Amino acid sequence: MLKEYFGVLLFAGVAAIIPLAVFAVSYLLSTKKDTPEKGLAYECGMDTRGETWVQFKSGYFLYALIFVVFDVETVFLYPWAVKFGQLGLFAFVEMLIFIAILLIGYWYAWKEQVFRWK
Amino acid sequence: MNFNLLSTEIATALFGSVLLILSLVTGKDARRGLGHATLAGLLVLLLITFTQYGINSGGFSGTWILDDYAVFMKQVFIIAAILVVFAGKSYVEDFTGNCNEFYVLMVFALLGMMGMASAGDLITLYVSLETMTISFYILVAYNLTSGKSAEAGLKYLILGALSSAVILYGMSLVYGAAGTTLFAKMPPVSVASPVLLLGAVMLVAGFGFKIAAVPFHMWSPDIYEGAPTPVTAFLAVASKAAGFAAMLRVFLGGTPVAPDNWLGIIAVLAAITMIIGNLVAIPQTGIKRMLAYSSIAQAGYILVGLMAADPAGVNGVLFYSMIYAVANVGAFAVVIAVERATGSDEIAVFGGLWQRQPLLASVMTVCLLSLAGIPPMAGFVGKFLLFSAIMDQGIYWPAFIGFVMSMISVYYYLRVALVIWRDEPKDPAPIAVESGMRLAVMAALAVTVVLGVYPAVLSDLSLAAAKSFFGM
Amino acid sequence: MNFSPIAIALLAPIVGAMLLIFIPKDERRLIRWIAAFSMGIALLLSLAAYFMYDFVKGGFQYTISIPWVKELGITLALGADGLSLPMLLLTNLIGFSAIFASWNIDKRTKEFFILLLLLIAGVMGTFVSLDLFVFFLFYEVVVIPIYIMVIIWGSSKRVTKEYAGMKLTIYLLIGSAFLLVGLVALYLNAYPAGQRTFLMSALAQASFSESFQIYCFALLAFGFGSLLSMFPFHSWSPDGYAGAPTAVSMIHAGVLKKIGGYGLLRIGVLTLPLGAKFWAPVIALLAVGNVAYAGFIALAQKDLKYVVGYSSVSHMGYVLIGLAAMNVIGVNGAVANMFAHGVMSALFFAMIGWVYERTHTRWIPDLGGLGHQMPRVATGMLLAGMAGLGLPGLVSFVPEFTIFIGSFAAYPVLAVLAIAGVVITALYTLRVLANVLFGPRRAEFDDLQDIKGPEMVPLVVLGAVLILAGMFPWYLMDMVNAGVQPIVDTVLAKVSQMTALGGGVK
Repeated sequence: MLKEYFGVLLFAGVAAIIPLAVFAVSYLLSTKKDTPEKGLAYECGMDTRGETWVQFKSGYFLYALIFVVFDVETVFLYPWAVKFGQLGLFAFVEMLIFIAILLIGYWYAWKEQVFRWK
Repeated sequence: MNFNLLSTEIATALFGSVLLILSLVTGKDARRGLGHATLAGLLVLLLITFTQYGINSGGFSGTWILDDYAVFMKQVFIIAAILVVFAGKSYVEDFTGNCNEFYVLMVFALLGMMGMASAGDLITLYVSLETMTISFYILVAYNLTSGKSAEAGLKYLILGALSSAVILYGMSLVYGAAGTTLFAKMPPVSVASPVLLLGAVMLVAGFGFKIAAVPFHMWSPDIYEGAPTPVTAFLAVASKAAGFAAMLRVFLGGTPVAPDNWLGIIAVLAAITMIIGNLVAIPQTGIKRMLAYSSIAQAGYILVGLMAADPAGVNGVLFYSMIYAVANVGAFAVVIAVERATGSDEIAVFGGLWQRQPLLASVMTVCLLSLAGIPPMAGFVGKFLLFSAIMDQGIYWPAFIGFVMSMISVYYYLRVALVIWRDEPKDPAPIAVESGMRLAVMAALAVTVVLGVYPAVLSDLSLAAAKSFFGM
Repeated sequence: MNFSPIAIALLAPIVGAMLLIFIPKDERRLIRWIAAFSMGIALLLSLAAYFMYDFVKGGFQYTISIPWVKELGITLALGADGLSLPMLLLTNLIGFSAIFASWNIDKRTKEFFILLLLLIAGVMGTFVSLDLFVFFLFYEVVVIPIYIMVIIWGSSKRVTKEYAGMKLTIYLLIGSAFLLVGLVALYLNAYPAGQRTFLMSALAQASFSESFQIYCFALLAFGFGSLLSMFPFHSWSPDGYAGAPTAVSMIHAGVLKKIGGYGLLRIGVLTLPLGAKFWAPVIALLAVGNVAYAGFIALAQKDLKYVVGYSSVSHMGYVLIGLAAMNVIGVNGAVANMFAHGVMSALFFAMIGWVYERTHTRWIPDLGGLGHQMPRVATGMLLAGMAGLGLPGLVSFVPEFTIFIGSFAAYPVLAVLAIAGVVITALYTLRVLANVLFGPRRAEFDDLQDIKGPEMVPLVVLGAVLILAGMFPWYLMDMVNAGVQPIVDTVLAKVSQMTALGGGVK
């Protein structure tokens, strides 16, 4: 039993050594020159101006949430539409219920003024 | 496809949607009516569940099981919800802003719990669990004006998500080892592989979070304290019962892990939960924190029933869940009333409650005694069923710890009774009890006493349910 | 169903308590009289039951049996035999007196009498129930009223009443937790699933293995022993009595403790004879600890209630050693002594209650010469004290004498040590009586009133029993013997049979 687990330990050890070794090698071989460009975030869009810890408007998240819900809906709708011919009436009713549930949510969001950007 | 198996859930989902629509079309001044509508709907749901006894079959490729066990558990959830709404209606209506979603979320949480009781496979179980938990994330943070409530909501979100992740990981390991997610199809294995064991351990840890068993209990006192009191009551009672309902399904309904492999963990969990929950409850000065620790200890008692892993044990779990739900909601109802009147949840504000409102004082005393397991309250019969199940297998020590710790728990329960009955009130003004609250506490009182003296009413039902769980 | 006086006696205080709920709390006179009236009925009925007992028939009489929870085998079974009838009578005598001893309670009178009646009903229920579950139910019902009564109406002298109440409650509850494990183990091991029952008579016929008996009896002995204030689990008792109001002290010392002895005999010894046989020497040893240790501590006490508290712990030693003798004479003496001690300690506590109410102190050095101002209280105290040290002609002489004969046959050395304890008892009792009642007349007590009217009831009732049972001991001893003889015979038969089969019993 213990012998079997030794393999796991060995594996973990090797797994730890490899990245350390890579870092070490690159540290030893690389030339070190600091420029202001290097301190910037790598490929993360525009350079930021001012304080970066700002609060986002909560409306943004609500907006995104509604978008994701309908995004996912299309994921379900697409295969359903492709196989619609074979699925028959039951699947049709089922999808109507599914859409109805989402519509209630949509109605709710609308009524709660999620889409109004204040 | 037999949709009758799903009728309670379909009704609940429809009811939740209708409530949501109602809250949209009626506008914000019609809140009171919404509370009444919720109550009416919940009562109808309770009636529907009574038609479901005796069906005892599974469906939807085995992912759904509707046995008497599931029906009984669903009734526990619904009854808890009804009592909470009765008791908490005015409390909720005191909230500033929009409280319409409160009831809607409660109904959806209920839907999740029902799914947990009926789940026949890991996926249904997980989806139901998340339905319940996500509803609770919002409910816990519902009091927008209170910083404590927001803090509790955030903590619950983070820790709840963590525990869900642990459960999911455990499930994936179990699936990997067993090759199926269906409980019924999982082959019994006498010697478990390490993967399976790891999966089982993760499941125990994850469910340990949901039922707040020591050492996974850290979240519960903060969250119980911060959440709006009706939510705390619902969380402490229904969510915990749902956790047990699911845990029984996973561990007794057919994990490939043989009992020898997880019983030890459960036994240790039960023992330390009973001991630590009770001991830490002693120094608490806030009633909600005290009840939080007490409900941790209660989870320990119920775990002993799971340990027994036979119909008698499941019978104990079912019976005790119902008794615990009623007594705990009764106690929380009194906390709600007193908190509304005094604005504080310190134990000290209960001083002289017997003068201000004798009904609340009596209900609190009876409910606490029932939680402590003092006869002739129903809690005693519940503990008797739980502990005799394990003693019947020749294992005495859990029952021993359980009985001794429950006698120690009398210490902190009686301290509340002492403050209620001995002290003179600081403010002698009587506390008003409106009709809904009166109904809730009277019901809790009646059930706790009647089932204590005549338990057969419920134990017949719970025994039948326990037998159905094992297909007997 | 036939007429059962004991069932009605049990119902009387419960009905009384329910009536009281609907009486406005300002009607103090009415409240007191209702309580007294319901206890009067209970007392008359229990007297009737006692003297109507059919010795020829023997066994349990006035039985009632109603199935309660069928699948668990719980039956609401009531009945009384020669063992329970003296205890039942004792409960009602003391209960009736306790109502009058609390006659002057003016703080929340209504709640006090409701709780007192419930307490008495609970104690009575334990003595007449034939079902283990019901027995335990009644026993636990007793604990909570006591707690509430101590914390509301108790007194904080040496220890605060909160401390005393909580200590008493926790001790009793922890003891009951052990008891509960033992009882459930008994229930589960007696019969296979499906035929299980809590009926004591059925459990007594079941056969248990020797190791189980030893193990289970230890649990029961711990539970019942801590209730009986067996050394070294006695420390709740003096503190509890000191903190409790008079009526609770009376009932607690008088009858509640006796549930321990009663249960030990009825459940422990009868169902687990081998366990009892195994542990008897240990119990006898602890009993001597009770007698000597508590006696010496009583010598050093300056608070009246503490003296009586420790003296009652000391007296329980006699009961225990009598039980441990496990022969008919010893057990007879033990049971009779429970009755005797109950009457005597209740009278003592009642009298202390009057002294405390009038002088507002229980501190012995502050008291003196009370015989001049309060001759009636002095009479009561003197009677109780003399009974305590076993004066011939009073109730406790015959029982104590019987205990010594019985225990001498089984444990000569321990019995002699216990008898020597009587000397200590005499020392502290006489010292207390001399310091409190006799001596020169003190001017500061001159305006104190002696007890009169309803306040006299405890003195008359309990004093009369003290003397009558002393003069006519056979009324008590015959009854006790009718209960004890069959039990001890069964036990001895079982033990010898088991010894013959197994041969492993020392």
